[in-house]
Amino acid sequence: MLKMSADPLLSVEDLRVEFPISSGVLGSGTAGTVKAVDGVSFNLISGETLGVVGESGCGKTTTGLAILRMLGIAGGKIVFDGKDITNLTRGQMRPIRKKMQMVYQDPFGALDPRMRVRDIIGEPLIAHAEAKEKAKYRARIEELLDIVGLDARMGERYPHEFSGGQRQRIGIARALALNPKLIICDEPVSALDVSIQAQIINLLESLQKKLGLTYIFIAHDLSVVQHISDRVMVMYLGKVVEIASHTELYKNPKHPYTQALLSAVPTPSPDAEAQREVVLLEGEVPSPLNPPKGCPFHPRCPVARPECSVKAPEVVVDSVGHQVSCHLFS
Amino acid sequence: MNYTSEAPPLLEVRELKTYFRSDGGIVKAVDGVSFTVDAGETVAIVGESGSGKSVTALSVLRLIPNPPGEIVSGQIRFAGTDLLELSEPEARKIRGDRIAMIFQEPMTSLNPSLTIGRQVGEPIEIHRKSLAKVVREKCVDLLQKVRIPDPERRVSSFPHEFSGGMRQRAMIAMGLACEPELIIADEPTTALDVTVQAQVLDLLKELTRESQAALVLITHDLGVVARYADRVNVMYAGKIVETGTARDIYNDPRHPYTLGLMNSVPKLNNGEKAPLEPIEGQPPDLSNMPPGCSFEPRCPYSTEHCRSEQPELSLISGKHAFACWVNVKDVS
Repeated sequence: MLKMSADPLLSVEDLRVEFPISSGVLGSGTAGTVKAVDGVSFNLISGETLGVVGESGCGKTTTGLAILRMLGIAGGKIVFDGKDITNLTRGQMRPIRKKMQMVYQDPFGALDPRMRVRDIIGEPLIAHAEAKEKAKYRARIEELLDIVGLDARMGERYPHEFSGGQRQRIGIARALALNPKLIICDEPVSALDVSIQAQIINLLESLQKKLGLTYIFIAHDLSVVQHISDRVMVMYLGKVVEIASHTELYKNPKHPYTQALLSAVPTPSPDAEAQREVVLLEGEVPSPLNPPKGCPFHPRCPVARPECSVKAPEVVVDSVGHQVSCHLFS
Repeated sequence: MNYTSEAPPLLEVRELKTYFRSDGGIVKAVDGVSFTVDAGETVAIVGESGSGKSVTALSVLRLIPNPPGEIVSGQIRFAGTDLLELSEPEARKIRGDRIAMIFQEPMTSLNPSLTIGRQVGEPIEIHRKSLAKVVREKCVDLLQKVRIPDPERRVSSFPHEFSGGMRQRAMIAMGLACEPELIIADEPTTALDVTVQAQVLDLLKELTRESQAALVLITHDLGVVARYADRVNVMYAGKIVETGTARDIYNDPRHPYTLGLMNSVPKLNNGEKAPLEPIEGQPPDLSNMPPGCSFEPRCPYSTEHCRSEQPELSLISGKHAFACWVNVKDVS
């Protein structure tokens, strides 16, 4: 088991999210379901950053949305801050949402182009009736702009007047407005250039220190996740294949998929690249409509054994809390 | 690898300037770019959005929309002829035949209403005027070459029936169709997942090696450059600020921008966290450039000289050149 120094801020148990696939001319019938998230479990300790990696369609964003209860849940349990939020109604969720916020991937699509930046940042305050006095409301917005490294005067402008990195700062300011405990960052830097990407990563890290935030950091870029996370969770076809601390995952990746992912990322050094053995995976991620039986990774796995196509592997956790789902370790 | 430059280079771009007219003035997207590509070589152009790397590629292919764009001056010599002096029909003869382009987004650069076979075979149809049957056979060969399973059947599929990785393979097949001498790949794997990216790039490298074609790889990913490029050109605000072999650039970066890029990238090293050192500020407005060095406003080493005069590329060893008034080595 993981070391539990304190009660986790968030605990997710056997989370399942399914999407029906409609068939027929009017989409009236259902042709089955896609298991977008299929039995995901993990704990998150206050103040830590959990990185979630995986390729498109592995369910990482869906997991994030399900935790925020922005999607219907097919099964499982979500406990946030000591409270079971799995079956809360919309009205009951409202006060809890103040404590959990999201930063989105696309800084161009996530901001309303017709609103001034100060109104975008202030909207959560108004929605949750926390803007009772005008002077305090103004001061809070200036404080938020300052905290993310923007000039207070910039609040008067519209989103199109800002660059990608600055817009992402606005998105972060909005997420911080209600003093959340947990922020789910969904690919917050993948649309940004490398020099700007580093600015935003450093900003997120310093905010975490200053405000004691807890992050779930979703990304497909392993080197970014590795950099920012305390622990990393690797997902494949809706399932968790491995969870380990960032050093452990780099030094001792256990799951063949994690090994392939690590080896597929080219490092910025021609000398290192010339010496490196690359584990190239065959094929692409299978359709989640018709996932493989047994271990979902077995059709692409370079070390698959006969039992892999029959039985799903169990979760094995070692003494340092390194968790893996693979028959090689059971 | 050793490229003795006795023979003239396959492609030589000299003082290329491509400007765009906009309401805000003239945008100098490419402003005096020179580089060469030898036969069989892989040359990377690295830079961030707006640095002019794609416009450079489109200029070589003479695909700049005019208006608003215009190649204002410069020379693009390809195998002895200046592409900029060709008439449009003459340029069309080279494009897709001797120079091919692989575009960034396989989702939007394929026509959704035509079969893969039609599109992959189009260059052969146009340039070789082959019979339909021959074109189809050649397409099947090409799809096989880019490792699309079941090519006889897949040749009649439509793009929506292909996954992202397969579409990019089809794009590569299309690029290779006429056995070009030069392939320009503009961010060929940006839209793909890492494991698929590795497959596609390895394939591209292998096929260009096989056919002895030169490859110009345009990318923002420094890791991809390290793995696949022989030589690297680093672009910033429409200019090449540093050029050299991949080892020159990575082991001995000299321009503060190159240095800044290297320090901005999180590295997968032994798992220890080193703080990132981002480049502060934003790239300059291309229609309102500073009078001196375009990187000066963001540069930690800037001096008075940098504000008043633009530095030129100067050679320090072999093929390694950089454009900066300051010697970073002396300062740091």
